[in-house]
Amino acid sequence: MNATQRARVLVGGAIVAAIALVGIYLAAGGSSYAPEKTKDPCEPRAWRNPEGLQEIAQQFTLSAMDGAACKLGVSRETLARALATPESRERFTDRYDIDEAQLARAIRAGLLRAVDDAEEAGALNPLLAAPLRETLKSIPLSEAIELINNAESLLDNLQSFLAPAQGLLEQFLP
Amino acid sequence: MSAEAPKPRVAALALAVGLVLADSSIVVLALPQIYRELDTSVAGVTWVLISFNLVMALAAVPAAHLARRVGPGRAAAVGLAIFAGASLACGISEQLSTLIAARCVQALGGAAAVTAVLELLPASLGSERRATALWAAAGATGAALGPAIGGLLTELVSWQSIFLIQVPVALVAAVPILAVARHEAATGVLSAELRQTGRPHMLANLALAMVSAAIAAALFLLVLLLIEGWRLTPIGAAIVVSVMPLSALVGSRFGGAVESARARAAAGAILVSGGLGGLALLPKAEVALTIPPQIMVGIGLALVLSALTETALAGRAPQAIHGGWTISARHAGVVIGLLALTPVFTADIAEQRHDAIDAGTAVILDSQVPPLLKLDLAQQIQSRLEGEKGRVPTIGPAFEPLPDDPEERDAVVQLRDELQEQLNRGATHAFSPSFGLAAILGLLALIPIGLAKRVDL
Repeated sequence: MNATQRARVLVGGAIVAAIALVGIYLAAGGSSYAPEKTKDPCEPRAWRNPEGLQEIAQQFTLSAMDGAACKLGVSRETLARALATPESRERFTDRYDIDEAQLARAIRAGLLRAVDDAEEAGALNPLLAAPLRETLKSIPLSEAIELINNAESLLDNLQSFLAPAQGLLEQFLP
Repeated sequence: MSAEAPKPRVAALALAVGLVLADSSIVVLALPQIYRELDTSVAGVTWVLISFNLVMALAAVPAAHLARRVGPGRAAAVGLAIFAGASLACGISEQLSTLIAARCVQALGGAAAVTAVLELLPASLGSERRATALWAAAGATGAALGPAIGGLLTELVSWQSIFLIQVPVALVAAVPILAVARHEAATGVLSAELRQTGRPHMLANLALAMVSAAIAAALFLLVLLLIEGWRLTPIGAAIVVSVMPLSALVGSRFGGAVESARARAAAGAILVSGGLGGLALLPKAEVALTIPPQIMVGIGLALVLSALTETALAGRAPQAIHGGWTISARHAGVVIGLLALTPVFTADIAEQRHDAIDAGTAVILDSQVPPLLKLDLAQQIQSRLEGEKGRVPTIGPAFEPLPDDPEERDAVVQLRDELQEQLNRGATHAFSPSFGLAAILGLLALIPIGLAKRVDL
């Protein structure tokens, strides 16, 4: 091989090696290795497994957060972090210029959506859904946040309240 | 002076060049520790690196002229003494401002020493060509070994030790040079006659600057990714990034088989860009995946830097002045690379951190962990995020101790792993645009390399 050929081989080899490396990394998913995008909270989210009180409570909470986040125009994840502590809530309201009344309205809307979703998924008895909606429409902010954080206790109380009533109704209904 | 200078003098001259040029990169692995200890920002700590390279870029050519006027022996000895004193000042600095000021003085002394050595070497080796080769090799070796040595010292001792250890090394290198300085003082004879200075090779120096910008970015960004993004220790990161200098040694062997400096420069620039392209497209947060791109960058940098330095110095006299131009171009490139890319990746890291935290929150919310434990974990993770001051957080400790219940424990471990994966994705992706830009910069160097054949400015 003469000097010119050696020079061509060197440059050609460099081009092939560079294209091969970039091509292999692209094919292995290098262009999409990024944090997963969060879902739009306004889009309906299918209930994963509406069986068991704990599972239902989790799904109820997630639906409520989706509903509230949708109302506020933020992601469900941002709202979840905001509601973690009073300090994080204050930072959130300051950053997004939201007052307590707006936050309360959004969370109530979220809880109502959670009731709708639970009913649609067959996880909440329709007999309970109506009075629950009425209660949630006027619930204070601090209690609404507590409900999101601990939906299980709410649902537990509701189920225990309903169980005898439901049994009674079933006796009379066709 | 005799054409066959004593070996200790030649070794001291090479050591002086290696030591000074190692300083352009030796602190790279210490930057995360300096960043934490001196309580500064990423942009602020970058100036520990930028200040040295900027002063080297500005001072190299004037220092070369000075060395030829006052005598290279004296310039090298005084330069090394200033370098040693400033290294001591760096080592005892407790504030970022004093550290940066000391780094500037260190670069002034270093510029005087490095350019003066290029003036001394031909007389010591009896050949200008051999002198250029040794000078370039010593500089490349120092710059390549710098990060690994800096990483080891940072982890085994402290970041301050990187500078303190340079004090005796610089003085040891200065001792044999003192004999030349005394000879100059006694006889009034300079080691090389004053000759008319020709114009520098603009295209080769421009290409050097562009490639150096890309390489500096590669090294700096990779170290930050490994330590701040993937949480490796400085020693771990030092071992990983030593792939680059080892590959450069292999690359220098490839280069010997091809006479055309233009072909070597072009192949080197393409390999550097290809390697940077690979780093921009890492498909997973795994150290092993950085190895092929590093090998490519290492081989590429050996080819392109030696070819361009050779082109810039070939047939040009005096060597010290043109060597000064290459030093100036390389360090200017490092400064441009750091200044251009730091804002890009600091903005990206903030955005990716936010996206990673959102993705991580989604993982927690959708996990199978019991709600009350979920809340507890969320609060612990939140407090860790607040304690990290905008950096990519480590979330492992937030999950300790693991629950006793096996089922719950499995769910928590799965949650922890998924969360860490989202953070890894965020950290890795944050560096992609900067690596991509550095790759483009490396490719743009092909323009002056291509033009160099037709127009020899």
